[in-house]
Amino acid sequence: MIESFIQPFISEWLGSFINPQKRLYWGYILSAISIGLIYLIYTKYSFIQSLKKLFSYDAWLSKSARADYLILFFNSLFMLAISSKLLTKSVIAFALYYWLSDIFIDSSMFYGLLENWQVALLFTTVLFILDDFSKYWVHRWLHTVSFLWPFHRVHHSATSLNFLTVFRTHPVEALLFSLRNALTQGFVVGVFFFLFGDQVSLTMILGANMFNFLFNLLGSNLRHSPVALPYPNWLERYLMSPAQHHIHHSTALEHKDKNFGVVFSCWDRWFGGFCHSEKINDLDYGLQGDNDEKEHNLLTLYFIPFFSSFKFLAKKLKRE
Amino acid sequence: MKKIIISSVAAALLAVSVNAAETYGPFPITVKGYEGKKENSVSYTGQIARHTIEKSLKKLATKGNGKPNPELKAKMMAYYAGKDADRLIMDPTTKGDFKVKQTKIAEISKGKNLKGKTYKGLVSGFPGQMTGPEVVEFWIDKASSTKGGYDPLTGYMYNQLISKFLMGAVAYSQAVDNYLDERLEANKNPNNKPYKKGTQYTGKEHVWDEAFGYFGIPAHALNLTPKNIYDIAKKKDLASADFNKDGVVDLKTEMAFGPAYYAAGFDKSGTNYTQTIVQAFIDGRKLITSAKGEKLTDSQRVELKKYAQVIKTNWEKVLAEAAFKYAGSVYKDLIKINAILEGENGDIKKAYKTYAKHWGELKGFLLSLQTSGKDLGGTAVRLNRLSGFSPVSVTGSQVTGIDSEGNYIASGNKSLTNYMVDMIKIQKVLDDRFGLEAKQKDVTGKMQALLDSMGDGASAEND
Repeated sequence: MIESFIQPFISEWLGSFINPQKRLYWGYILSAISIGLIYLIYTKYSFIQSLKKLFSYDAWLSKSARADYLILFFNSLFMLAISSKLLTKSVIAFALYYWLSDIFIDSSMFYGLLENWQVALLFTTVLFILDDFSKYWVHRWLHTVSFLWPFHRVHHSATSLNFLTVFRTHPVEALLFSLRNALTQGFVVGVFFFLFGDQVSLTMILGANMFNFLFNLLGSNLRHSPVALPYPNWLERYLMSPAQHHIHHSTALEHKDKNFGVVFSCWDRWFGGFCHSEKINDLDYGLQGDNDEKEHNLLTLYFIPFFSSFKFLAKKLKRE
Repeated sequence: MKKIIISSVAAALLAVSVNAAETYGPFPITVKGYEGKKENSVSYTGQIARHTIEKSLKKLATKGNGKPNPELKAKMMAYYAGKDADRLIMDPTTKGDFKVKQTKIAEISKGKNLKGKTYKGLVSGFPGQMTGPEVVEFWIDKASSTKGGYDPLTGYMYNQLISKFLMGAVAYSQAVDNYLDERLEANKNPNNKPYKKGTQYTGKEHVWDEAFGYFGIPAHALNLTPKNIYDIAKKKDLASADFNKDGVVDLKTEMAFGPAYYAAGFDKSGTNYTQTIVQAFIDGRKLITSAKGEKLTDSQRVELKKYAQVIKTNWEKVLAEAAFKYAGSVYKDLIKINAILEGENGDIKKAYKTYAKHWGELKGFLLSLQTSGKDLGGTAVRLNRLSGFSPVSVTGSQVTGIDSEGNYIASGNKSLTNYMVDMIKIQKVLDDRFGLEAKQKDVTGKMQALLDSMGDGASAEND
C-alpha cells in the first residue's frame, strides 16, 4: 500500500524537474534565477548582494516558506490520491465533440481549409488565450465570492515569496483549478476537432505548449520570488509582469483586488483590477490587516477555511 | 567418433525440443476400446476444409463479367451448399515457393460445405428479413451478375461481404455458440465415449478440436511471431509455415486462415490475441487429455469452460477490432472522396471502389459480431443503424430495403460528412462495448493523443 504510493510520488516529483510541461522544470528555474540576477545587478546591487537577495533566509526558510513546503508535500499526496477521480478534459472533449456532431450535420467542415501548421498555431493560440482568460475569472471569483475567499486566503497568507509559494494552495482550490483546466482544454479540443478533424495538433517546444514554454522561460517563476521584476509600462498593459503579481500579494490597502491575471494583464484592464508596478519599493506580502504567526500552522491552513466558508454561507442563507 | 556424432545429434534434438513451444497436437489416444492404428487423437480437417471453401467463395465472387451468369452462380452454390469431391481449392493455392500440399477440398475433408453450418438466426443488419444462409445465397446470386464482385450502383463488394460474414457466421458462430458452448455440457459428447463409433477421439476431445480448427491457426502457432502468422496467411513465409520441413504447406495443420490472420494482424501492433487464444486451446485440450478417456468431472468442466470463455472473449474482440479498423478506413476513404468532389485531383471511381471494399469488410465484421448467439442488445441496434444497409452514395442515398423481386430500394440524402461521424460513433460503440486494445485506424485516437500531449491538469498551483 505504502510502496504503491511512494513510488509514483517520487517519480512525480523527480519528473517535475525534467518535464518542460511543469513549472519547476530545471530550465525555467535556471532562467528565472538568471533573469532575476541580471535585473538586480542592473538596478543597484552587486552580484553577491543580488545572490543574497534572491536566496534570502526570509524568502526560503522563514516560517511562511516552511509552511509552503509542508503544504506542497501534503497536497501532492492528496492530488495523487484523487487525480484518477477528477473530471478529465477527455470526458469534456469527447462529450462536446459527439454532441456537436449530433446537432450539426457537417463535422470537419473546415477540414483542409488551412495547412496543418496553421491549424496547429491557431489551436495553440486559442487554447492559450482561453486558458488564461478562464484563469483570470476563477482567480477573481476566489477573491470576490465570500465563501471561496477563505480557501484562497491560504495562498495569500504567505508573508514571503519563493518559487514554491505557487504551490501554497488549499486542496479545495486545487479541485477548482483542475475543473477549470478540464473545462477549458476539453472545450477547445472538442470544438477544434469538430471543425478541423484530425488536422488539430499542439505547437510545442520541448513537448510543452509553445506559449507556456515561452511564458515560463521568460521568468514566470519570478512572480513568486524576492525579485519584483517590472516590465516597461506599455508592456505591462498587455503582459503581467512579476512585479505586478507582487502587487497582487501586497498588504497595502490600495493594492487590494488588483492584478488577477496570469499571463495577460488586459483582462484586468477590461474587466477590472489593473494596476501598474511603478513606484513600488519594498512591499509587505500577506493578508491585508491581520498577519498572524498562526497563519503558517498546517492545521489552521487546511481546516479553518472550511469553517470560515461555512460561516459565510450560513450568514448568507440567513439573510435570504 | 560414432558416439560423439550420436550424442551431438541427441543434444541438438534436445535443444530443438527445449526451444520449441507447445503445439496443438499431436495428443495421445485416450478413448477406451479404440482398435484402430492411429496414434494422434487430434482431428479438425472438416473445419480447415470450410476455411478453404470460404476463401474459394471469396475468389469465385470476383469472377463475374457484369452479366447474369447462372453458371458462376451454380459453381458458387456448389462450394457453399454442395458436396462434390472434385471441387478445387481456389485459394489458398501455391504461390511462388509457397507450395500448398492440397489442391482439392476433398483432400482435406470429404463432403464439406458451409450452408449447414451458417448462423441460422435473423440477420437484422441487412435488409430482407433473411437468415444467415439466405443472406449468403442472396449475395451469391447478386455477386454472380456483377463485374468482379463489385456493384458500383449500391457500393456492395460481394466478395468482401461474403468472406467477412462467413468468418463470423460459420467459424466464429460454430466455435463460440456450439462447440465451446452447449457441447461442453455433461450430457453432450461425453468424454468416456468415442465421438462417433470407432473414432480415435472422445466426444469432448473432438468438440474442442473442432473449435480450434475454426480459429484457423497453424498448430505450431506458439512457435511463431504475429508477423510470421500474418505472412503465412499472405502466402509469403514458407519457412515459418512448413513446421515439419517437408517443403510444402499442409493446409490441415500449417496454414493460417481468416480469424487467425486478423488476430495476428492486431498482435503485430502489440496485442496478444493469438497467443492468448491458442494457449487457452492447448491448456483446455491438455485438461481433456488428462481425463484419460473418463467422463469429465463437474470441476473439470468448470475449468474447461474458463478456457472456453477466454477464447470466446478474445475472439469476439478480434472481430470488433476488425470492424473498428475498417470503420476508420471508411472514414479516411470518405475524406478522400469529399476532397475529389470538391475539386481536388483524383479518380473518383477508384476512390469509391476502395470505399466500397472497406465498407464491405466493415459490414461483414459487424454482422459477424452478431452471430455468437449472445444478444448484443442495444449495441447491435446502434451498429446496424450507424452503418446502414449500404454505403452512403455520393448523392446521399443508401439502400433501405429489398423489394419482392429481390431488387434493392434506395433513398435518402445523407451527407458524406455526416456518415463520417457515424464511422467515428461506430468506433466508439465498439470500444465502449468490447474494450479494444489495438484500435487500428482510430479516428479520434488523434484527439486522445492530443489530450494526452497536453499533460495532466491536476496540479495544485496558484498561478
